[in-house]
Amino acid sequence: MSGVSSATGIERELRAICGEENVSEEGTFAHHFLPDPGHPIVVAKPGSAEEVAAILQLANAEGLSIIPEGGNTNRCILQPADILLRTSRLTQVEHYDHADLTVGVGAGMTVARLNNMVSADRLLFALDPPFPERATVGGVLATASHGPLRHGYGALRDFCIGIRFVTGDGRRAKGGGRVVKNVAGYDLMKLLIGSYGTLAVITSASFKLFPASRQTRTYLAEFSTAAEALKFRDLMLRLPLSPVCLELVSPGARKLMRPEMASDAWVICVRAAGSDAVLTRYRKELGAAVTRELEGDGESKMWRAIEKFPFASDAESEDGTLADYGQRIKITVPPRDVMSVVDVLNDIERGNIGVAFIGRVGVGHVVAVVRNNGSNPEEAAGVVVDALRKKFSADISVKIDSGANPWPIALADLACMRAVKQALDPKNVLRGRTIF
Amino acid sequence: MRIPVVVDQLRKIAGRDAVLDRPEDLMLYEYDAGVRKRTPAAVVFPQSTDHVSQIMRLASSAGFPVVARGAGTGLSGGAISPEGGVVLAFARMNRILEVDSENMRAVVQPGVVNQQLSDNVAHLGLYFAPDPSSQKACTIGGNVAENSGGPHTLMYGVTVNHVTGMTMVMPSGEVVRFGGKAAECSGYDLTGFFVGSEGTIGIVTEITVRLLRRPERVATLLGIFETIDDGARTVSAITAAGITPAALEMLDGWTLRAVEAACHAGYPLDAGAVLLIELEGLAEQVEEQAEAVREVCSQQRAREVRRAKDETERALLWKGRKNAFAAMGRLAPSYYSQDGVVPRTRIPAVLQFIEGVAKKYGLRIGNIFHAGDGNLHPLILFDPRDPKQLELVQTAGRDILEYCVSVGGSITGEHGVGLEKRDLMPLLFTDEDLDVMLSLRNAFNAEGVLNPGKLFPTTRMCAETRGPSQNPVLAAEGM
Repeated sequence: MSGVSSATGIERELRAICGEENVSEEGTFAHHFLPDPGHPIVVAKPGSAEEVAAILQLANAEGLSIIPEGGNTNRCILQPADILLRTSRLTQVEHYDHADLTVGVGAGMTVARLNNMVSADRLLFALDPPFPERATVGGVLATASHGPLRHGYGALRDFCIGIRFVTGDGRRAKGGGRVVKNVAGYDLMKLLIGSYGTLAVITSASFKLFPASRQTRTYLAEFSTAAEALKFRDLMLRLPLSPVCLELVSPGARKLMRPEMASDAWVICVRAAGSDAVLTRYRKELGAAVTRELEGDGESKMWRAIEKFPFASDAESEDGTLADYGQRIKITVPPRDVMSVVDVLNDIERGNIGVAFIGRVGVGHVVAVVRNNGSNPEEAAGVVVDALRKKFSADISVKIDSGANPWPIALADLACMRAVKQALDPKNVLRGRTIF
Repeated sequence: MRIPVVVDQLRKIAGRDAVLDRPEDLMLYEYDAGVRKRTPAAVVFPQSTDHVSQIMRLASSAGFPVVARGAGTGLSGGAISPEGGVVLAFARMNRILEVDSENMRAVVQPGVVNQQLSDNVAHLGLYFAPDPSSQKACTIGGNVAENSGGPHTLMYGVTVNHVTGMTMVMPSGEVVRFGGKAAECSGYDLTGFFVGSEGTIGIVTEITVRLLRRPERVATLLGIFETIDDGARTVSAITAAGITPAALEMLDGWTLRAVEAACHAGYPLDAGAVLLIELEGLAEQVEEQAEAVREVCSQQRAREVRRAKDETERALLWKGRKNAFAAMGRLAPSYYSQDGVVPRTRIPAVLQFIEGVAKKYGLRIGNIFHAGDGNLHPLILFDPRDPKQLELVQTAGRDILEYCVSVGGSITGEHGVGLEKRDLMPLLFTDEDLDVMLSLRNAFNAEGVLNPGKLFPTTRMCAETRGPSQNPVLAAEGM
């Protein structure tokens, strides 16, 4: 950490790069959780990829550390750093070819703005992360975020077609391009998606878009146990249907999202898109298990609640602190193993720790929120991670977006990860100090 | 280490009958499906991950370059041996290790033939989606190295979208595992990154792939057009109507006549172009989309839209498409195929450009391609016995790829860069882009033991690889 006098020097340099009004010193953060909240940090808002590169080159020359920041929807627990690089000014549209179903935008553009833009042409950017009004394109890429649409449209790694970035050592580069099919050069999209800002600062990216659905309907089926709910999922997966969403909601999650509608039921939510004939077919195939059908506003509201989980759907409760809800843990296993994950989480809930979860169970994904009833949420998350580690010897991916180390259980080979980190950020300017 | 010594060592590792070094045997391994050739010093057939690991350790210490080879169906020279190189052929690592139908995954060795995997899981109602035209021969290891595509890429994506984990042998001989059956990976997505790295980072010895459920209904339509322009405009009109076909292929009139003569697929001989359009999914949805596609085709002045009545008719239509490259043999001793990509709205323009190129160089160029995702395959006919023709053909190919890039496209959609397009990489990538890619390659393969001379432009390699003159591997590559 640099001393105060050199901090002033850094600010001066940053102002020369980004402009006077785009550099400030901030002491408190609404959404961050600093280990030492009183320690000020310099915030720089570069306006172009060139400026991002200049900041990273400065950091390399001066031995400074940087944390890139998008919309901060993950309420990251920050490690001490010298510069917070905020992407809020990188909001340019680089290309929008609606007839080609492709778009390229700056990393600071929010998911909501991007979707507003393309929905005018009846297109969809098929990602529904929590808080789309604040979540940025760079942020969702860095954390490999997704929401319920993951089931039907795939993950960002499936529809991000190009990425532009500045490496930790200050090189401006790109991978992929602007067309939907392209295998020229290394697939750097894959490397940066989900790398949590440890390798490079993403400055812009291009995506494949999808035609927007003309109408959708949601079918809810309630079960008294998770096992029954998952049996219904298995049945669903064997049917020839391809719903856009297939989500499990635990009784605890339902209490958090819709306190007024709390019950002990496990709910499977199936969202279908298509013509009347297609929706009729869904209803017929899903059979007697369906207890409710939703469309229009009621349907949108419900999916919005799931997107925002664990935050209550109605209130804009973004000012609530993380401690109110606990840490969010993203768990992915082979689909068959979801039941084992549920068992682990249920066991923990019987103790002193509250666990609520939802999940894209068709693809083996569970989002759990743990609360240690008032005390340290990190500790509670640690209990869950330990229990998962004990149960699964391999083939489990666990991510904690807000954690100092987002990968408490890493599936990728650590030595290879280090080699990649060394190749792109040899001086460890970006985040990684606590990871590697 | 001299070659005979290397061969002895390889025999000790893989077995006496698992190494080839006689010139007449090596000749079979000097080419792939592209236009370049080079005879390897030896070919070895490893039978296990451990064999591959031992071979890599030997290669690293003895300093001979290694290239992995599946079935040799690649079109970019990716499996062509460097000078003095050893080919690792995966024909004997061809077992399907596990089919996990509940999780819809399979674990396979790299030598498993693409089509065999789908055949093997058909009784479970499952299949492996990537479907290169060479799928009856090409291997999944090769698909992973090149990130191969195929007609159904349009809906389902290329190989990388269907790989969730792998076991890999690094140049040092170290064996590492990434990912697994889970759809996501904590830590870097090294599985995703290594797919398509063209054998320049490591050698994959086990692959975990996603399997998909066979759709309830498939409709295969043949849209027949008087002019190539009408056909080309229909491609983006279908997308604009909100329809995503599983596959959307185009053949120009000249190509379809050649194909028809060879395959008797039932293509109309007097058409300007045809579109082969496949729709998949829920019966109700497919029927609606088939109707919508008919309407779009009519609006774009299709002469006729036919629909395959049954599986036999469907198979016949696809036979024509998938054997098109082979059908070119009737017209000329050889062909040179490119796989540039353009945004699909630029298809009419690029086809006009290709026609201009054919006129300019006095060449015959047929067009058969994955129109839905703008992935072109202009087939330039020539006689390889005439060196002047080869040069002309390559110049024409370069002109076409330059045009693709100039309208926002790419130099390769599914064939990979390999030897063939390495010097075209600067059309797409800046020095700094390539520098970043090279630093990643060097993080794992700094000595260039694995597939040297591929993917990166020759000029770049000279400038960036530390002391190529002291590096016997790269020196041997003539760089």
